[in-house]
Amino acid sequence: MATTYEQRIERQNRWLVLPAAVLLVAFVLFPAGTAVWLSLTNTALNGAAALHPRFVGLSNFNRLLNDGDFWNSLWVTFVFVFGSSVVGQFVFGLFSAMALNRPVPLRQFFMAAILLPNAVPEVVAGFIWISMLSGGERSTLSHLVGLVGIPSQEWLQTMPLFMIVMVNTWRGIAFAMILMTSGLAAVPSEVYEAARIDGATDRQIFWRITLPLLRPTIFLYMLVSTVGTIAIFGLVYALTRGGPGNATEIIAIHIYNQSFVAYQLGYGSAVAVIMLGVSMLLGLLYVRVLKVQV
Amino acid sequence: MAADAAAERRGNATAFFFLLVLAVFCLLPFVWVFLSSLDPQAGLYLEWPQSFTIKNFETIFTRENGGRWFINSLIVDGGATLLVVVIAGIGGYALSRSREWWKRPFLYAIILVRVVPPTALLVPLYKVMLAGNNAIEPIIRTFAKGDAYRPTMQIFGFVDGYLGLILLEAAMQLPLALWVVKTFFDLVPRDYEEAAMMDGAGLLQRITRVLIPLALPGFGAAALLAFMGAWGDFLLPLTFISSDELQLLPIGLFRAYLRIDSVDYGFLCALAILYTVPAVVAFAFARKFLVQTFSGGVKG
Repeated sequence: MATTYEQRIERQNRWLVLPAAVLLVAFVLFPAGTAVWLSLTNTALNGAAALHPRFVGLSNFNRLLNDGDFWNSLWVTFVFVFGSSVVGQFVFGLFSAMALNRPVPLRQFFMAAILLPNAVPEVVAGFIWISMLSGGERSTLSHLVGLVGIPSQEWLQTMPLFMIVMVNTWRGIAFAMILMTSGLAAVPSEVYEAARIDGATDRQIFWRITLPLLRPTIFLYMLVSTVGTIAIFGLVYALTRGGPGNATEIIAIHIYNQSFVAYQLGYGSAVAVIMLGVSMLLGLLYVRVLKVQV
Repeated sequence: MAADAAAERRGNATAFFFLLVLAVFCLLPFVWVFLSSLDPQAGLYLEWPQSFTIKNFETIFTRENGGRWFINSLIVDGGATLLVVVIAGIGGYALSRSREWWKRPFLYAIILVRVVPPTALLVPLYKVMLAGNNAIEPIIRTFAKGDAYRPTMQIFGFVDGYLGLILLEAAMQLPLALWVVKTFFDLVPRDYEEAAMMDGAGLLQRITRVLIPLALPGFGAAALLAFMGAWGDFLLPLTFISSDELQLLPIGLFRAYLRIDSVDYGFLCALAILYTVPAVVAFAFARKFLVQTFSGGVKG
């Protein structure tokens, strides 16, 4: 009797998980497999290849290696991810978490101010930053940096890559701050007191105690944030649409343009497969190194 | 000790100053949006309005199609959220309770699915959606004839239709929701259920009387996170919706500020606020769950 009862429960469980499995297979796993297959064909939306796509082996990937636009998009993506998620968001997030750990006035207000950019939809973020950045000498940013003597300019034209890094930093400080705050909360205050009694300076405490103890949190942050930043599309598309030229054409925009503007589906899929591969590697690293419990 | 107190005060002052500068950086763009939305002569630059008006908000609903976009977004993202809660609710429960072999591979697969960038799937997804469209078309044709065909297709279609986008948005938000719900059910002891079973409760009763009340916070968290994800999404509505009357808020906003000839910044800012408020409200409620979603299953 006991076994049949167990079996019945397990059969029930299988039915309950089925809708989720169907949805994920139909809209994620099957498309991912198809992307790999498409990348091995010369599929296109128009021309002869649209009617009779052929298997072309790795030639799409061969073409990738010799394509300056592809390397450009990799480089832009690298600068974007490194500049905003690894450096910008992390540094400001860590410092704001440390600052908010102190008894400063207006603490709740500051926290809300840092969280707000993270809560707005990405198109809105792109739209409101266009207003901050464009307009040459009349733009808001030009007014601000004019105060410290930096010449005004058309920011999205003269330094587009730096601007998308800055805007994404602005948007993501909150996430780093939330994670770092929870990391800092796990450090017992006795550790700091003991260090102070031993005469450690603030600088020593930061480098020798805070950072080493935060290492697991920082690692988690770096992985999650890198994967998330690689996947960004709307924010940059709304801000620059990859331009001027291809100066801000991150890999997501490159795929979108190759597929839906140039209609090179096979070739676009090859780029997509590279992107999938990188994200998968980071995901596996997450599972392995952080010993995720399931 | 006096030196320590002085150092402490200096540290606090530095922290305060740093936060002040950071807050200005974070809030300045919002000041522009807010002021311009109330400014009858709003421009691209940050300036104090000479007079205030709510005309820009009226424009959304009168001269522009903003009301329609808002309702479309509510239908699609609300529908997707509802679907996610139901599917992740039962799926997360099964994942928490099962002891069978598929449990661990399934959970690892969820983590990996979470890192898949939607852009990388766009082309194959288009093929999936076209196939869905072709499959559902004959059914719609039999039931909705003549003039009724197109509106029906806009509801149940996959490409340029609500149903397809709802399913797709739901699928994208599902992995996180499954994870959250599963983690919550892990905290609900089996004893409660077994006690209910002893009293002769069937599966349905167990779910409605015991499990849903106990796991309600988990459902709430999953719903909020799914809604935020779907509401803020730009890529999928951009790719899969083309009709004007089906347009969602993000695309309506995007297209409106790309109009070269007549950009009405007051209207755009009002629209941006209309679009942002639900996202911010959801975010405020979801805040305490945000950390758990990443560190829930992690042992450092």
